[in-house]
Amino acid sequence: MNENMNLVSAGVAIARRNKRYVVWFYLLNLVFAHFGASAFSEAAHAVLDKSLYADKLLHGFNLGIFVELLARPEFGALSSATHPATMFAVVFFLASLVFMPGVLLGYASDHRLPRDEFFRACGRNVWRFVRLFIFFTVIAGIIGGILFGALNALVMAADKTSNERLPFFTQMAGTLIILLVLTVIRIWFDLAQTEVVLRDQPAVRKAIAAGFRKTRRNLGRLLGSYVVVAIVALAVLLGGIFLWHAIVPPSSVLGAFIIGQAMMLLLLATRFWQRATAVAFYVREMTEPVVEERIIPAFVAPVVS
Amino acid sequence: MGARFRVVVCLLAASLAVSAYAQTNAAGGLAIPATTSAINSAAPLSQRVVAYDMDAKYNAKAHSVDATETLTYHNLTGQPLDTFPFHLYLNAFQPTSTWVREGKREATRGQDFEKWDAKSYGAEEIKSLEVVGQGDFTNQLQFIHPDDENKDDRTVMQVHLPKPIPPDGYVQFKIKFHDQFPETMERTGWNRDFVLGGQWFPKVGVWWHGAWNCHQFHAYTEFFADFGVYDVKLTVPQYEVVGASGIEASSVNNPDGTKTVAYHGDDIHDFAWTASPHYLIYNDIFQSSVGPVKLRILMQPAHWNQAERHARIAKETMERFDRWYGPYPYKTLTIVDPEPGSEAMGMEYPTFITGGTSWFMPKGLLVPEGVVEHEFGHQYWYGMVATNEFEDAWMDEGINQYSEAKVMDSIFGPATSVLNLWGITAGERDQDRLFYEASADLDSMAQNGWQYFNYNSYGGITYGKTALILLSLENVIGEDTMRQAMHTYFLRYRFTHPTKEDFLKTIEEVSGKDLRWYFNQAVYGTQVLDYEVLKISSVPVDWYQENLKEKKGETEYVDNVWIHRKGEFVVPIDIETTFDNGSKVREHWDGKDRWVRYAYQKKAKIESVEVDPDHKIYFDRNNFNNSRTAEANSAPARKLANYWTCIGQFFAQVLAWWLV
Repeated sequence: MNENMNLVSAGVAIARRNKRYVVWFYLLNLVFAHFGASAFSEAAHAVLDKSLYADKLLHGFNLGIFVELLARPEFGALSSATHPATMFAVVFFLASLVFMPGVLLGYASDHRLPRDEFFRACGRNVWRFVRLFIFFTVIAGIIGGILFGALNALVMAADKTSNERLPFFTQMAGTLIILLVLTVIRIWFDLAQTEVVLRDQPAVRKAIAAGFRKTRRNLGRLLGSYVVVAIVALAVLLGGIFLWHAIVPPSSVLGAFIIGQAMMLLLLATRFWQRATAVAFYVREMTEPVVEERIIPAFVAPVVS
Repeated sequence: MGARFRVVVCLLAASLAVSAYAQTNAAGGLAIPATTSAINSAAPLSQRVVAYDMDAKYNAKAHSVDATETLTYHNLTGQPLDTFPFHLYLNAFQPTSTWVREGKREATRGQDFEKWDAKSYGAEEIKSLEVVGQGDFTNQLQFIHPDDENKDDRTVMQVHLPKPIPPDGYVQFKIKFHDQFPETMERTGWNRDFVLGGQWFPKVGVWWHGAWNCHQFHAYTEFFADFGVYDVKLTVPQYEVVGASGIEASSVNNPDGTKTVAYHGDDIHDFAWTASPHYLIYNDIFQSSVGPVKLRILMQPAHWNQAERHARIAKETMERFDRWYGPYPYKTLTIVDPEPGSEAMGMEYPTFITGGTSWFMPKGLLVPEGVVEHEFGHQYWYGMVATNEFEDAWMDEGINQYSEAKVMDSIFGPATSVLNLWGITAGERDQDRLFYEASADLDSMAQNGWQYFNYNSYGGITYGKTALILLSLENVIGEDTMRQAMHTYFLRYRFTHPTKEDFLKTIEEVSGKDLRWYFNQAVYGTQVLDYEVLKISSVPVDWYQENLKEKKGETEYVDNVWIHRKGEFVVPIDIETTFDNGSKVREHWDGKDRWVRYAYQKKAKIESVEVDPDHKIYFDRNNFNNSRTAEANSAPARKLANYWTCIGQFFAQVLAWWLV
């Protein structure tokens, strides 16, 4: 547990020292989401801006009227609002893929990483990260697919009983287990990415193998650290929603924006915290002295002449 | 002359024969029992046409019933009857039935039948049918299909009698039948060890407007039957907890591990029952204006903590119906919380309703309340005022939906009568608008249930539009007058089968107004209402002066407002213009032209214009264009865009979180 906490604290220290990465990624996240919401926003302005009926959406949130808005022909098809949001989410994912090597290098560095080094690391590792992503997708896809298939079968079996709660709790427990398994895979690939960047390892498969070995040997420590941070993320999310509901008046657009964005920033920070934790672990692994087996010379009988 | 004489002689002879036959019947002791189990009446409440005496044995393993039915029918048609049609509803659950064909066509209620599942099979098989005094007709039964050309539909059968039953005569049918229940469909059947016996026995059609009214079972439609007396014995395994229409008369344990529970119901037109070993019973009493009503609530164990919620909403609803429309005269009401995951939730039968909830049901999510309220409402609008659900679906579902809005709004508030959870709200009227808007102009309310364009149109018009039309009518004739009209309609037509015009004329009579202009459009038409504020403008009177400086309160303007009637529905409407000095002007427009313009000259600019400022009309298809402001207020759109942005950010983070 202490070791976990040390790792988590080390992650916090690294993430705090490099706050700018979180801020930049947050800004990217916000800007892309803003672009993604532009079609929705435009359609909403067109219908609502000069209508007194819109008041019911400002002073409260009437679900019926919101659905009525979405159903208006002049609002357009819902897909015209969801597609851009999805596209820009993919763009954010790609940006994360491209810039994450620089972040990892920055996290491992004991000084502020110059901009050119950051981008050099990004450029040098972009293709390696793409390949890692493909490997991750295949492995996580297969394992996740099998596990979700098994879970579905379990839930269907639970559904046949007259215990109404059983399918729900089976679903929840199963999902939790699958998330833990996927987290282990994520840790494995986080370490592989760290290996690729910090060792400048061009052989992606070797990095994956190294990541696997490290994850296997230190599974408890690493998983514990990641789970602690994930719990913090969940608390941020739930706490944020609670505060949004409890303290922000329904008509306060600014208040909702501030609390919503604070929540998004903190949520993003928790993921960077996990990455920093992985880097802290990796750096320690590299610097910890390796206790090698003492080589005991084989007994050699004196040569007697 | 000779021909006329022959006719007179024939009529005389027929009349003597009829009289003799009626006496024979009376001598034979055939009659509908005059028992009463009403709280407030020693005499029967309805003109009883049928008496069903049934003895049914439920096989819990096979989900089947073997039963005998003795049906005594009183011919009150005023003419001899030699043909009797019967509903065999459970035959709808067969792959070639009209119900399945329509369900497959429309994917209604989740039954799109991608693949036929043996568990979906249901059947109502007549083992024998004997007409007392006329012999066995088992081999002469014919399946008929009055509504379509589907010769494979077996939901209506007909028996032709060689000796007609004279007016005021009686006939008795003795029927042996076997039911196979499907896994719950259309609110009947089994699920795990639960069963709901709905539409489970051969039920004779209704002689209505000079002809038999006995429609096939359709994917959207419900039921129609005559009032009478039901005596039903149900034999089930002893471990079952049983509930049914009517009053439990006795319960006897049999040596073979079964028990026989007997029920008696007066002045009802259907009989449903349920059995499950898991039910927990919650008893309560509602004190109506005429006496106590016993509430028997059969709850699923996982929902036991919601039993009080069910009882509370039932009592609050009953209190309002009692006060607003008239008394509930039956001594019992059974509320069934059906097996989770079954398709048995939300259904009405006389003195017996099914609710609908799940183990997770926050208090702000008013699902059980809405369902119990709605199904209880059907005790009035279906149970007692027994309209033809096949042909006038709006008269039970729609009038009941209107009552639901009134009751739920009065208990939970108009803005929060459906949902009030974590700052998210919705009311009954919002819900009805959504139903309606989905298919506002495809069908009229006065449409046979099975002839709607599709299931959405059926739901949107019969439930949503009717409720909105009546809620709006309330604002035309006044809430008190509308309530008085509903009260009169209930008292006048309870225990009868009223028509559309009976309802509409009652409203006209009570309100003292000719409302044909409204009913012709709303009930018989497909017109859609959509008013919009097309344009507003404020131009300074001295616009031509160079260097004109506009000063608030000093500069004079020519203000113009254009209102446009986009839809075909014409209804007189108020229009309110608000000026930037705070003053308001109201106009009343008859709406007959396509558009109207109002011009004002004032030392004020227009701030906003609103059609229907008191929000009296609920069925305007687009409420967003009912008002227009001079200055844009972007806050509502920014608020929603902010939500959308946050959702987009979260989604993007989750994607990047897992994949990078």
